[in-house]
Amino acid sequence: MARKKSKFSLLMWLIISGISGGGITGYLKPNIPVIGPLIAKFTDKGQNLTAGSGNLLTESADGLLNNQSSGDYGGSVVAGRLASARQASNRQQQGTVQPTTVAGNQGNANLLIASFNIQVLGQSKISKPGMKELLAHVIRQFDLVAIQEVRAKGDNVIPDLVTTVNSNGSRYNFVIGPRLGRSNSKEQYTYVFNTNTVEHDPSSVGTVNDPKDLLHREPFVTRFRARTQSPAQAFTFWMVNIHTDPDEVPEEVDALADVFQVMQKARADEDDVILLGDLNASEKQLGRLGKLPGMQWTVSGVTTNTRKTKAYDNILFQGQATREYTGRWGVYDLERNLGLSREQALQVSDHLPVWAEFRVWEAPPPTSPVGRPSLYN
Amino acid sequence: MNSATVLQQLLQGSPSERAAAAEYLAQQGTEAAYAACELTAACGDTETVSDWAVAALEQLGAPPSSAIESLVSMTQSANPRTVYWAVTLLGRSGPDAAVHQQVLVTLLQHSEDLAVQEKAAWSLGRMRANSLEATQALQQAAQSTEKRLSRVATRSLQPTQT
Repeated sequence: MARKKSKFSLLMWLIISGISGGGITGYLKPNIPVIGPLIAKFTDKGQNLTAGSGNLLTESADGLLNNQSSGDYGGSVVAGRLASARQASNRQQQGTVQPTTVAGNQGNANLLIASFNIQVLGQSKISKPGMKELLAHVIRQFDLVAIQEVRAKGDNVIPDLVTTVNSNGSRYNFVIGPRLGRSNSKEQYTYVFNTNTVEHDPSSVGTVNDPKDLLHREPFVTRFRARTQSPAQAFTFWMVNIHTDPDEVPEEVDALADVFQVMQKARADEDDVILLGDLNASEKQLGRLGKLPGMQWTVSGVTTNTRKTKAYDNILFQGQATREYTGRWGVYDLERNLGLSREQALQVSDHLPVWAEFRVWEAPPPTSPVGRPSLYN
Repeated sequence: MNSATVLQQLLQGSPSERAAAAEYLAQQGTEAAYAACELTAACGDTETVSDWAVAALEQLGAPPSSAIESLVSMTQSANPRTVYWAVTLLGRSGPDAAVHQQVLVTLLQHSEDLAVQEKAAWSLGRMRANSLEATQALQQAAQSTEKRLSRVATRSLQPTQT
């Protein structure tokens, strides 16, 4: 079994960081406490496909989508997404559902951000009839999805999945982290996002440095910005994607408290940090992370696994800083929303997506009437 | 699928049947604990079977006490992933597996795999291993320059010293 942080990996990192830090891509910034992984940037391979191909979802359901209507998602991505959000929120979330208003050119004033542990997301999973289409449909419900448990030796799984997401005319893209893990069973994190509604900052992507090796799979961080007509006023935020080791949850959630605070200080112009993922912990088991001043978690009092027995997944942020949160959140019930049986839903994942809604406009700091400067301009 | 059928497929099925059985078990959460030994052995199977076996092992919690003897024997496997998971499950067994602490002491001291050494140190702590050999091995590991191994060993010494 290879040692986790092999000399080869270290050498590769030094080479990569040396190149990117030298200004070729501007990839690393010296004040960011992250290690730069190789980022595979998907280049909209699926965008030339016609919207009509969105019907793949029903053409190849093969038992996974037997109750799915034959709706064309291509022309109604936003409406369909919000309808699903309402279904989920009506069942489980605490806030009320507000009508959306038009912002920018997206027809939606809010961002739906989700976390989804797609158990063993690899070639064998996406090769199942109808599975890619089903996962694509789920991803399209949200603007930005933090995915855990990509387990594949090859590099085609996420590009193939995103091609399918875009097969109805959608314009999703992704960033993916390096393979991580102490044993030779490695996982990757990825973010899949709708480029019509959100964009990532290529200079602010990386894996959190963990010199004390406190975390089995170090968080993958990326900075995003909502796409609006006024970029300087748009909501910007760090995403911190995490999948804890179920055998060391107390230690790891405590370490995540440090990660969260480091990310809050990573850039002087960014105080919004959204930590999300499979924590293997309920809101009552967040340790030091949950005790950080003002820490807020969206998922509470519900289960998040497909078998509906445990709460593992959550979305956390500092409430006073991230006042863009609308109060709407939910657990996307695969059975209910897609008409799947429990057995079929388990073939998708042993986890359900959890989501929260944020406004696309940056809220001014509570102590200052002036909005934060933006490095995008 | 009943448990006997699942185990038969996992042990004796075709590659696709073994993968399907491991995947099925990965969907069962803690209810897959009855298959702890078979899943640990399956870590040495093909990549697809192994990936699903690992996914199942991550979530199945503690194995039944009847599995402990078999898991001890699997710590001698030639497959490092099988060893890693056998050691992990012995640790999850807690004090019930403490009678086998010497096996983990040997792995902690002599395994060439750092991940296995770390898990052995972790498992000794979970077992509340208190033999002289275990304490000495953990004390030595606590002095390791490998930060995680040192930290885990230090933590594992705490219950043995109380």
